[in-house]
Amino acid sequence: MTSTAHPVAPEEVMAFLDGELSSADAQAVSAHVDHCAECADLVQQFHSTSHLLSRWDVEAIPRKLEDAVANLAVKTVPGLEIGKRNIFNRASFWTWKQWLIVSGGTVAVLLFVLAIFVPALYRPRQFRRPAPVAYQRRQQTERESSGRGTLGQLQADGQPDTDQQAKVFQGSVPQNSLVTPTSPSIAADSNGLFHGLGDHAESSFALAPMIARTVSLSIVVKDFAASRSSLDVILARHHGYSAQLNVNTPENAPRGFQASLRIPAPELSSAVSDIKTLGRVENESQSGEEVTRQHADLVARLKNARDTEQRFRTILQQRTGNVAEVLQVEDGIARVRGDIERMEAEQKALEHRVDFATVELQLTEEYKAQLNPPAVSVSTRIHNALVAGYRNASETVLGIVLFFAEYGATLLIWLVILGVPVLLLWRRYRRTLARS
Amino acid sequence: MQDALPAFVLDSEATKRSAMNGTHRNPDAETPATPGSDEQLMVAFSRGSTDAFSELFSRYKQPLFGFFRRRVADPAQAEELTQETFLAVIRVSRRYEPRALFRTYLYAIGFKILRAHRRKEAFRATFLGAAAGIREPALQNPIEAEVWLRQAVRKLERLDREILLLREFEQLSYAEIAELLDLRVNTVRSRLFRARMALRDLLVAPAPKSSAAELTESEEQA
Repeated sequence: MTSTAHPVAPEEVMAFLDGELSSADAQAVSAHVDHCAECADLVQQFHSTSHLLSRWDVEAIPRKLEDAVANLAVKTVPGLEIGKRNIFNRASFWTWKQWLIVSGGTVAVLLFVLAIFVPALYRPRQFRRPAPVAYQRRQQTERESSGRGTLGQLQADGQPDTDQQAKVFQGSVPQNSLVTPTSPSIAADSNGLFHGLGDHAESSFALAPMIARTVSLSIVVKDFAASRSSLDVILARHHGYSAQLNVNTPENAPRGFQASLRIPAPELSSAVSDIKTLGRVENESQSGEEVTRQHADLVARLKNARDTEQRFRTILQQRTGNVAEVLQVEDGIARVRGDIERMEAEQKALEHRVDFATVELQLTEEYKAQLNPPAVSVSTRIHNALVAGYRNASETVLGIVLFFAEYGATLLIWLVILGVPVLLLWRRYRRTLARS
Repeated sequence: MQDALPAFVLDSEATKRSAMNGTHRNPDAETPATPGSDEQLMVAFSRGSTDAFSELFSRYKQPLFGFFRRRVADPAQAEELTQETFLAVIRVSRRYEPRALFRTYLYAIGFKILRAHRRKEAFRATFLGAAAGIREPALQNPIEAEVWLRQAVRKLERLDREILLLREFEQLSYAEIAELLDLRVNTVRSRLFRARMALRDLLVAPAPKSSAAELTESEEQA
């Protein structure tokens, strides 16, 4: 029975029986069914099927359910929140199987995270990205200052950590009592021969420590140009000099410079006081590294080397021998002379550190925003922005590629380990849901 | 107890709802103690009338329980879902606006709760190893024909089966079913026709010799 054979489609007959047709359509279908045996048979089949379905009974609603809902309705004001069910209160929810599955999943996730991140933590240091040179230098300086018996850092307010340190920085220890190689007692002549050194000199070192002092200052000034001029005047007045100077004059940002100043040790206190007058001190720290033992050790080794050299020269002058023996003595003299010169250079550098204190100065100008239009044109800024955007995008893409190059294999392994069971469970879940 | 007679058994004209007030002559509904449509009762309940809710509850308790009972194997779960649906109606009653028939509104809530229940059951069966189904006490000694009937309905395609049940037992109109299942009315009509034809063919076939216990087992495995 098709719509071509009948003016009324079977679905329309069904809709007529369901009362879904308009009055006019219902009358037409009714009239057709009265004269069409096939449609009448279809109607009969529909009735028969429905009659069979009507035998699908369900039991009456339990009385306890009626009572429960009725009580809630009476007790509950409309709109009032009724306590929601808490699944954690259902004892049946947490069976040992469920605990096992949840715990296993948690452990798997933890293992995954550990597998990703633990190798990175234990990676050899040489594969890591090198730190900036300035940072390395700073770290090295900190290690040296903390590991070689320094007097420690002063606080920003200038209070020393120890009594000894206080004596040094407050000037209670006379600067001229510090025995330095420039003192007559340990001076060496131009021939490299040492004069006045010995046990007495070592005991003097023990009594008067040699300290290499370092001061760090961070100052904010109002007038940058005037401050630079004033700083030059201060350096000249205190016979100091600037070992290093880096000036930054960025646009639309405060100007400033970082300088490493060397000031004669006796002038340090007054020089620092003068520098502080340049502006507002934001940060100050002072430290001192005691190099007495290091210097004494160097002096002793130098003395021994000179003695050795002197003995070689005596042997060369007083003894006779064959050419090979003479050459052997000459080699010894050359070797000892090299050691002596190296140690002399170290000694001079060490003494210079003690004689000239270091002032690490960071000077920044107070920034005042300018109302002037930017010097860079709009087109240039757009161009720069586009270039920066391109660089950022390429860096991002490169970062993603590097990430997957580094972790891709590991991720793939875990994806297989975890993904396949999850996929199977998900398909099983969908099948179960479809059947329910 | 028969909670809802199929539409064909009833006079088709008698099942029509009045276009004026939208009321539906539910054969299961007890004689209303309070006059008024379902929508009027719900509005009254949203304003604090517990008597109105009692009347609504008396009208729909059995149809809603039947709605769940025919879709859930465990009668205890059907009771729980029925209770949840009425509690949901209570909770959202303050926000109720009579823009549609209360009946559609109620079954829409019930349908959402049923879907959530099915997802939860499927999840527990899949991931937590819980039992997929529970032996149905009501089928311990069912009539053979009824078992055969249930088996035939279960063989229908899922969406067709849902449309058939909503039409035959909940007596929703095509438009209401379409709204509830988010389908077009023509789709509902064609699928309903297909479901009825398929069910006719299944019922015309000779009844299987399986006992009620075997059917329960098969449902449990499914």
